[in-house]
Amino acid sequence: MDKDIADFTLKYAESKKVDYAEVRAHSTEYEELAMKNGVLDAYAQMIDSGFCVRILAKGGLGFASTNRWTKEEARDIVDIACKYATTAKRKDSITFAEEKSVKISWKVNEKKKILNVTPETRIETLTDLDKELTSQGINVASRILQFGTNITEKYFVNTEGSVISSYVPRINAYNFITVVENGKPEQAYRQFGYAGGWEALTEWKMNEQTIKEAKVLQRVIKESKSIKPGKMDLICGPEVTGIAAHESCGHPMEADRISGREMSQAGRSFIYPGGPFWLKTKIGSPAVTIVDDPTVKNSYGYYEYDDEGIKARRRYLYKRGIINEFLHNRETAAKMNTRSNGSSRAISYDREAIVRMANTFVEPGDMTEEELLEDIKEGVYMRSFTEWNIDDKRFNQRYVGREAYWIENGELKHPVARPVIETTTQIFWTAVDAVSKKVEYDAATCGKGDPMQGVPVYMGGPSIRLREVYVK
Amino acid sequence: MSEILAKTEQIVKKGKGLGADEVVAQTTFGRYRQTRFSNNQIDISVAWNDYVTQVALTWKKRFVATQLRDFQNVDQGVKRLFQLAKVSKENPQWGGLAKGEFRYQKSKADKTVVNIRNPAEYVFEAIEAAHEEAGSRQTNTGGILFSKLEDVYLASSEGPVGKDQRSAIELSIRAFSDKEASGHGVECSSTLKGFDPSRAGQKAGEIAKQAKTPKPGVEGRYDVIFDPLFTGSLLGMWGFMASAYSIMVQMSVFVNKLGQKVASDTVTLRDVPASYSMANRVFDDEGAPAKENVIISKGILKTYLHNTSTAKIFKTETTGNAGLVVPSAWNLEIDAGDMDKEEMFSEVRRGLYLTNTWYTRFQNYATGDFSTIPRDGIFLIENGEITQSWKDIRLSDNALKMLNNIVGISKERQQVHWWNEADPPSLSPYVLMKDVQITRPK
Repeated sequence: MDKDIADFTLKYAESKKVDYAEVRAHSTEYEELAMKNGVLDAYAQMIDSGFCVRILAKGGLGFASTNRWTKEEARDIVDIACKYATTAKRKDSITFAEEKSVKISWKVNEKKKILNVTPETRIETLTDLDKELTSQGINVASRILQFGTNITEKYFVNTEGSVISSYVPRINAYNFITVVENGKPEQAYRQFGYAGGWEALTEWKMNEQTIKEAKVLQRVIKESKSIKPGKMDLICGPEVTGIAAHESCGHPMEADRISGREMSQAGRSFIYPGGPFWLKTKIGSPAVTIVDDPTVKNSYGYYEYDDEGIKARRRYLYKRGIINEFLHNRETAAKMNTRSNGSSRAISYDREAIVRMANTFVEPGDMTEEELLEDIKEGVYMRSFTEWNIDDKRFNQRYVGREAYWIENGELKHPVARPVIETTTQIFWTAVDAVSKKVEYDAATCGKGDPMQGVPVYMGGPSIRLREVYVK
Repeated sequence: MSEILAKTEQIVKKGKGLGADEVVAQTTFGRYRQTRFSNNQIDISVAWNDYVTQVALTWKKRFVATQLRDFQNVDQGVKRLFQLAKVSKENPQWGGLAKGEFRYQKSKADKTVVNIRNPAEYVFEAIEAAHEEAGSRQTNTGGILFSKLEDVYLASSEGPVGKDQRSAIELSIRAFSDKEASGHGVECSSTLKGFDPSRAGQKAGEIAKQAKTPKPGVEGRYDVIFDPLFTGSLLGMWGFMASAYSIMVQMSVFVNKLGQKVASDTVTLRDVPASYSMANRVFDDEGAPAKENVIISKGILKTYLHNTSTAKIFKTETTGNAGLVVPSAWNLEIDAGDMDKEEMFSEVRRGLYLTNTWYTRFQNYATGDFSTIPRDGIFLIENGEITQSWKDIRLSDNALKMLNNIVGISKERQQVHWWNEADPPSLSPYVLMKDVQITRPK
C-alpha cells in the first residue's frame, strides 16, 4: 500500500472543489485452502491491494477505484468519480450527517501471529480434521473443508481531516458435510470466524464441533420422527436465535433499506415512514432486546471505526420489544436527521461502503436452559437450522431444524425430523417469553449490495422460548 | 495489447523455468461501470478498473494459485508460488490442465458498453417507461445499470494461448406501485445494439400495476407459470447442480443419474457461452474452448459440466467449463417450446403466475428439498385469467420433482440476469409446471 498515492488522490480531489471526498485504500493478504473428500484441491496465496475515491459534489455521489497504484490512475479515478457525482442531477441533494474528524491508528492483536504459521501447519489443520471426521464410524460420504486467513490493512483519509489506519487479521473456516446412513443423506454446514491470531483454532474446537455435527446427522437419520403440525412451545438454541436476530431484526433495521436504496436487490423493510412499524413501536415481547455490536472483542465482525471513519459502538435495535435504533451511515443519518452510528462497511477497496451489520445478537436473560424447558408440556427444541429464508421486507421467514428434539414434560426426547417454523417477524418475537443466560455466537458471511459484498459477521444469542407458535 | 499477452506468457515461462509441471496465467484488464438508482433518482455511479493476472501452477500434482496485480513483482510472486507448491499436499485426483493448441472463435465484444456518454439517460428511459406502463409518476423505482468490458489474455504451458474480449450490459429495474406491489424487469445483452432499457421498465411497470392491493396467498398445490426471470433462478439452481464439483460433494440431485431421466420430455437444457450472452467467452480458465453442451436432452441427463481434472475423474473429456477447481455453467438455455404465452395461461384452470423469486435455500441438496420466496408480482390465475394479486407466499418443493413436473415451455425466450438471484445469465422461457407446493407463514 502506498499511502502517498492515497494522500495525493485526496489532494487532487480537493482541488476539484468538491463538497466532500474520501480515499480508502485496502491491502489484504489472503491464504486459502480448499479440501474436498480428503483431497487438497487448491492452496492459494495472494495480495489484493487498491484504493478508491468517493466524491460528493452538486448533490450527487460518485465512486471509482483501481488497483494500479500510480498518480495517473489516481487522477483518472478522481475525474471519473467527480463526473459521476456532478451529473447525477438529483432533485434532492445527498448530504452526509456531520461528524467529527478523527486521526487514529487501530489494530486487532494476535496472540499467535498468523504470518508465522507455516503452510504445512495450515494443511495439517484440514487433513487432521478430515482424518478425525472419517474415523468415527460414521459414513461422512462427502466433505468440503475450507480454511483461510486474511490480513487487511486499511488507510482512510477524507477532506474533513480524518486520517485512520487499521490492521485486522481474520481467520475463517467453512465445512459442509453429508452423512449417509441406510441410503439416506443428511447435510450440515458450519462456518467459523475470528478476528485475531492463530489462537482462534483453540477457541473454535473445530474438530470436536464438526464431529459432533456428523453424529447429530447420523442420529437424525436413524432416530428422528416427524411431528404432528400444530401450535406448541418452541425453544430456539443460540444458532437459531442468531439467524432470526440477523434476518428479522438486523436487516430490516438497516436505514438504507428503510429509505429504499436497496429496493431492487436486497429489498426494503417492513419498517417504513407512515407504516405500522417505526421507531418506538412494538415488534416483540419485553423479553426481547437485540443489539448489533462491532466492538465484541475478537468477533468476526469486529471493527473500531467504520469505513466512513465513525467510531463503532453497540446499537440497541429492538429494546425490550420496541423498535429502538436503526443502523446508519452518514448518508442515511442525514436523511433521517440523526447521526451515524458507525454502520458503514465495505468488503474491499473496489466496493462502496454501505450500511451493514457487524455482530447481531439477542441480549441474555436470567434463566438457565433447564428452567426454559421445565414447564413445557409438549414442544420442540430447535438447536440448529438447515434451510432458512426471509422475504425481502424481512417479515415472512422460515427456519427448518437440523438438530431438533421433541420436548415432553420438560425433558428432551427423540430427535425431530426437520421441524419447520414459518412465521412473521412480529409473531416470532412477540411469542418470546423467556431468555436464557448464556450467549453463544456463530460466524457468518452476510450478503448485501450490488455487486454483492459478503461481510464477516457474528450472529447469536442465548436460547429463547417461544410460546404457542405453529410448528410443522 | 499483444505486449500484455507476451507478459502473460512470460509468467508461464518463469513458472516452468522454476520447475513447475504445468502453469496457466490469465490476465484480465477489466473496466466495470455501474449506476445505482432508487426512489426514481440516481444514488451513486461507480467505476472500477482491475488489472489482474491469475496464476496457477502444479508441481507433482500439488495445485497452487495466486494473483499478481498489474505485473508488479512477477519474479517474486511466481517464485513464492512455486515454493508453496513444494510444501503443499499432493492431489492424487489431479487430472491436469487442458492440452493442445486451440483455435478460438473471434470475440464479438462491444467496446462501447463502458463508454456510454450519459448512463443516466438509460436509467431515466427505464424509469420513464415504468411510470408510463404503471400509469403513475408516483411509481417508485430502483435498480442498476451495469456494464463491463474485459480484455482477457491466457497462456498455458500445455499449449493454449489466446485473447478474448468480453462485454456485457444489464439494466435491472424494480417498480413499486405500492409498498407491497412491485414488478421487476431486466434488459441484458453483450452489446449496445438493440439494448433497450425501456423494455425492462415496461415490464416492471406492467407487473407493478397488476400487483396492486395484494391479498395474502393461500397454501396448497398449484399449477404455476414461471416468468422468464423466475425461470432464470431455477436454471441457475439446476446449472449449479450439473457441475461435476457439485456431484462430488453431493450438492446435487443429479448424483449417479447420467443417462437417466431427470426431467420431463419437454426439457432440453444447454450451457451456451454464446456471443449474445452477458457471459460470452471463447475459452475457459484453462484455455479449453468454451462450447455448447447439452446437459439434459429431452429429459435425459447427458453430461456434467467439467474441467480437465474433473473430466478425468469421470472418465470423460472436459466440457470447457473450468474453473480450475470448480467447473461452472456460463450461460444456460432451455430450448424453446411450442406454446404461446397466452396458450399457456389458457391451460391453467386454477394456478399461479410467479414473476420473480429470491432467497433460495436448501434443506438438503442431495434430496433436492428447498424453498424460495416469490417476490414482485404473484398472481392467481383462474380459468386462464389473472384474477387476484397475492403476497406472502413461499415455494417449498423439490428441485428434481420440479424438473419432472414441467409440462409446457413457451416459444418466447428472454435473456435474463439479476444480482445473485438469476445467475448465471440465461435464455429463459415461460415455464408451466404442475403441482407446485406453496406455503405461507402462520
